[in-house]
Amino acid sequence: MRSSLNNSLRLIAGLALAALAAQAAPQTFDFNDPKGVNNVQFKLDGPLESITGTATGISGSIVFDVVRPGAASGRIVLSAASLTVGNPKMGEHLHGIQWLDVAKYPEIVFEASELQNVRTEGTQTKAEVRGTLTIKGVTKSVTAPVSFTYLANKLGARLNDPKVNGDLLVVRTTLQVNRSDFNIMAGEMMDKVGESIQLSLSIAGSSPCA
Amino acid sequence: MKSNRLSVAFRYIAVAILLIGIVTWAAAGARIGWTQTSVATMQRDEITGIEFPVRRSAFVPGIEIPVLATIVAGALAGLSWATARRKATAKV
Repeated sequence: MRSSLNNSLRLIAGLALAALAAQAAPQTFDFNDPKGVNNVQFKLDGPLESITGTATGISGSIVFDVVRPGAASGRIVLSAASLTVGNPKMGEHLHGIQWLDVAKYPEIVFEASELQNVRTEGTQTKAEVRGTLTIKGVTKSVTAPVSFTYLANKLGARLNDPKVNGDLLVVRTTLQVNRSDFNIMAGEMMDKVGESIQLSLSIAGSSPCA
Repeated sequence: MKSNRLSVAFRYIAVAILLIGIVTWAAAGARIGWTQTSVATMQRDEITGIEFPVRRSAFVPGIEIPVLATIVAGALAGLSWATARRKATAKV
């Protein structure tokens, strides 16, 4: 009787481990989003009001393992030309040679190298992401708080096509950078445009099932 | 006579431009910021919960509208004064 119970318990444990091993494969999530939901919002201080804008030209990928979220890595690319503000003249300056020079530096890139202080609760994982940020050809190390929300089997719902199988990964992070660090009118117009830029990233990547 | 009429016309146009500039700005919310030609409204994606901007064309007059109107009105008021003064000088 006891030996039969032990065998049953071993079998259950073995099956559970097998199921876990089957789920443990890292997935690659693609952050190209034709719907334009993936976005970055930015904000700087200005003399009359804060300068705020948005950008939706996001691409890139993140490798994420729901069982080992601390091992996540990836690269997110933002099209510099997609940064938009409400005032057209301000937008011209923003894209121009003196500011972001989007013609010469078309991409803003964040590459994640490691996660620290990883905490997982249900489908959400919070951590500190360390990586490099490249703006206007200048690369700097940055660390920022990040949250990952794993949405299993939600790709079909997102595409409005129940036949499509796949998972989603929602990534949110905020970071603050100084424009002088990236040679964006370094030390100039300090009375007209704030030094510190707040960036908020809200993006969702998809990983179709084979 | 012509100068006097011209002077009065400049004065009326100055007042009109000033009023149009201020009323246009005030009616749109008296925004203390630059004029905008597009605005972003936030919507929420049901599946992911992401708040995302939807940008649409819109004209939102900024502080430079009443300021420009004041400058132009001031210039026209100056012209009005100059033409009235020329008439007064001519009379003498």
